[in-house]
Amino acid sequence: MIVWRMLMRDWRGGELGVLLAALVIAVAIVSGISAFTTRLQSSLEQESHRFLAADLAVSGSREHPFDWRQQAADRGLRTANTLVFPSMVFSGEEDMYLASIKAASDQYPLRGELMISSEPFGDPLTVTTGPRRGTVWLDSRLFPLLKVDIGGLVTIGDTDFEVTGAVRSEPDQAGSFLGFGPRVLMHLDDIPATNVVQPGSRVEYRLLVAGAPEQVEEYRQWIDPKIVSGFRLIDVNNSQRGIGSALDRAESFLLLAGSLGVVLAGVAIALAARRFSERHYDYVAIMKSLGADSGKINRIYATSLLSIGGAAIVIGSALGWSMQAVFFELFADALPVQPGPSGARPYYIGAATAMVCLISFAWPPLGRLGAASPLKVLRRDLPNATRRSVLDNIIGLGAVLLLMLWYSGDVQLTLAVLAGLFASASIAGLAAWLLLRGGRLAGMRAGSIWRLALASLQRRGGANTLQVVIFSLAIMLLLILVLVRTSLIEEWQMQLPEGTPNHFLINIAPDEVNAVRESLTEKAVLPQPLYPMIRGRITHVNSEALGRSDDPEEGRRERETNLTWSSDLPPGNELLEGQWWQADTSEALVSIEEGMAERLQVGVGDTVSYLIGSQPLQVTVSSIRKLDWESMQPNFFMVFPTAVLQGYPATFMTSFHLESGDKGFLNEFIRSFPTVTVVEMDVVIKQVRGIITQVSAAIELVLGVILAAGALVLIAGVQASVDARLYEGAILRALGAQRRLIMGALVIEFSALGLFAGLLATFAAEISVFILQTEALDMDYSAHPLLWSLGPLVAVVLIGALGVWNTRKVVSSPPLLVLREL
Amino acid sequence: MIKTEKLLKRVPLAEGELEILKGIDLEIKAHESVAIVGASGSGKSTLLGLMAGLDVASDGKVLIDGVELGALDEDERARLRAEKVGFVFQSFQLLPALTALENVMLPLELHGAERPLERASSFLERVDLTDRLDHYPNQLSGGEQQRVAIARAFAAEPAILFADEPTGNLDTDTGAHVIDLLFEINREQGTTLVLVTHEHRLADRCDRRIRLHGGALVPESDAAETEA
Repeated sequence: MIVWRMLMRDWRGGELGVLLAALVIAVAIVSGISAFTTRLQSSLEQESHRFLAADLAVSGSREHPFDWRQQAADRGLRTANTLVFPSMVFSGEEDMYLASIKAASDQYPLRGELMISSEPFGDPLTVTTGPRRGTVWLDSRLFPLLKVDIGGLVTIGDTDFEVTGAVRSEPDQAGSFLGFGPRVLMHLDDIPATNVVQPGSRVEYRLLVAGAPEQVEEYRQWIDPKIVSGFRLIDVNNSQRGIGSALDRAESFLLLAGSLGVVLAGVAIALAARRFSERHYDYVAIMKSLGADSGKINRIYATSLLSIGGAAIVIGSALGWSMQAVFFELFADALPVQPGPSGARPYYIGAATAMVCLISFAWPPLGRLGAASPLKVLRRDLPNATRRSVLDNIIGLGAVLLLMLWYSGDVQLTLAVLAGLFASASIAGLAAWLLLRGGRLAGMRAGSIWRLALASLQRRGGANTLQVVIFSLAIMLLLILVLVRTSLIEEWQMQLPEGTPNHFLINIAPDEVNAVRESLTEKAVLPQPLYPMIRGRITHVNSEALGRSDDPEEGRRERETNLTWSSDLPPGNELLEGQWWQADTSEALVSIEEGMAERLQVGVGDTVSYLIGSQPLQVTVSSIRKLDWESMQPNFFMVFPTAVLQGYPATFMTSFHLESGDKGFLNEFIRSFPTVTVVEMDVVIKQVRGIITQVSAAIELVLGVILAAGALVLIAGVQASVDARLYEGAILRALGAQRRLIMGALVIEFSALGLFAGLLATFAAEISVFILQTEALDMDYSAHPLLWSLGPLVAVVLIGALGVWNTRKVVSSPPLLVLREL
Repeated sequence: MIKTEKLLKRVPLAEGELEILKGIDLEIKAHESVAIVGASGSGKSTLLGLMAGLDVASDGKVLIDGVELGALDEDERARLRAEKVGFVFQSFQLLPALTALENVMLPLELHGAERPLERASSFLERVDLTDRLDHYPNQLSGGEQQRVAIARAFAAEPAILFADEPTGNLDTDTGAHVIDLLFEINREQGTTLVLVTHEHRLADRCDRRIRLHGGALVPESDAAETEA
């Protein structure tokens, strides 16, 4: 009963507000972020599986060993096979077109949807399996090109097929660049009869696997060591490079933000609990004088804490749930698939966090109340024994470490953040102490408001130093988050800015180049440079013959690749080694992509021999380049000086941006340039952009919550010193000081604390962001000059305003009332 | 009832130790009322604190009903206080979080007494505060707060009541009213009363006076001289 009455009264008096709010925020941050990432992960995983038409795929340039499929089946996994290759498709005597053929087994697709229509460009209809044997489905664009209708016949290799539908979309259509050209979908069992697939043909076999996550994972572990050269394991993480890296960073950011949020909430809880316990010291002395033993006192405060914890868990979980629910509601349209449920786990984590925070941050000062001396009822001047002991700090630090580790599961990130916090706190502490000490020398000759303020800053030197440390830590963490978030989102947007080329044209004949360029310019789409493309086979490195291309041995073997020429370093490429050539050089040189150079084991100065058509070409490696694979720009492994390649038969490629409403242009274009192949990447780019938009919005939302936690720390920090300031202010007023003097001194005092904290925070944030971006997030760093004026200014305004707001009672209430209430 | 033997209290100072009490021997019988008087700094409140078990002696003994307080730990002393001791303080020491009624109920609830609400209400009625039950301490005048404190002290029906300058924060008239109440209820309940005061008026109403000077007892015969 006493517990409830005291709790209610404390609540009405506003004493519990900060403690409860800090706990609620801790629970909301943890449960909200956790539920959010769980649901987003599941949604994106489903989406990625859709991209793959499976949970896992093994891609290869030759057929998979039989037992790979058998093993999957034995584990209860569903399997399907596909085969993709370019081939001419004929219709009647005259019409033919180079199409991308995909042959699929009955089970295809395992994930995602296959859509067809009963006529070209008709209403799409979802089907669960591919065409029956003896029939094919054609891309809508092929119907006019081949002058064929539904029910007509087309020929692939030695066999005729009936056209029974128009294929509108496949889940894994963006899977491979071998998929150049409009699609023809056929049944896998029809392949032998066509005789088009021969040893050495450019084909891609895929074994698709889907099933329960654990079984898929088991299978992955089984097959991973068996993947040899010529095969590749494709899963969610590497199927979409752009999404994969955006997600990884977003996840790192959310984890970092969440961990920092919990640290901030923990600090706010510790500060609020300490103030709470200081204010209750007298109560305990009275209760003890009335006969309450320490066990009873402990029970009273433990019950109070548990009640506050319980309330915080309920409110915080509801808040966390609402945060993610509102978010998914707002972005439901942008999400490719409906997110699955998060389950109860995020809320358990939230509840456990609340309990850990209570036990390690709030209980130490409250637990010591039981040891308060009852003599304080006679001697009010007895010191309180609630000062933080070294043990408290160790417990608090241990709890932060535990929570961050548990929460992020990332030892490196946890230790990095903790080390950063520790270093910043030490530096801030030392600097604050020095700054506050300097205040006296500078302030002694100043006017009376200044003298009062600076004397006050000095008198509580220790407490103020602690306050500056806490303020600067909170502000630093917030600045770090804002900076990292801004860079992350900017970088993503730069990666795929509005107007990113979303269509590729390949196979442009040299005499078509000008006409294609004109056609694109006329349509006002943004034409990119036209790159020449020459197929060439690497045969020798330093005059040493390479292994055959189907040699299973990894590394140096013959391979066919696209070659291009350029007089300048292509945009987005970075030179790692060597020099770029003079624009007009005719020296036999080549610049190689770093991964390719590694596989071929070549460096600058080595020679590489090619066979282009039947003509040999020997060149010297002049530089190694790094490509930006996420840029959605044409990228080439091998670039030559213009004069070296210009004589060889080349086709050209380019890319351009087309709005979704302008797709009709493609049909016109194909009619004008029937031999040019159009690769549509717009769907993929749209999906990547959609996901990035969602993740960015999630980051903003989480940042908002963390800012609230930071504000709480500031409030709790200000409140920690309010009593002493109120008391002094009331006495000064009683002695006849004007309101202006007291308020002026308080404004100066808190603003000075804000300025110190802001400067220290800005300095520490700049260093931390540098380390985080270059080490943890793998981003480029640039300094933030604006921060240096904005950081301290925001700190002065925030802390000044909070401080004055919290101490306004000293001038708004009669001094006697203030003194009686303290 | 209360007995002290060679009671000594020292406190450490920067330049050595200060003896606040220098070997006090005294005995207070049951139902007796005793005033501890003396100048500021003579050790009155320290002696009261030691006799009530709020503090621990540096040397010597305090016995309440034959139980030596020095042999008890803080929690055992708290239980002894809960059973036998009530307090009235100069600064009232009401819990600001609780109403007048709740403050009086507090010791009853701490002891697990039956019907705390009824008993607390009747004691507040006894000190003429029936219309102030739901007021918080900061809504009450000094005299009213001290009456609440008196109701709280007697509600648990203690065997001994310690009062530390009970009128120290009150004006003369209010103080007189509070003293009347204190002695009336004390008489009704037959409580042993030990009070610290430097008000003659208050000391005069006690059965006996104990005078302290510089931490030592002053014999009754010397008291008049010291006073003069």
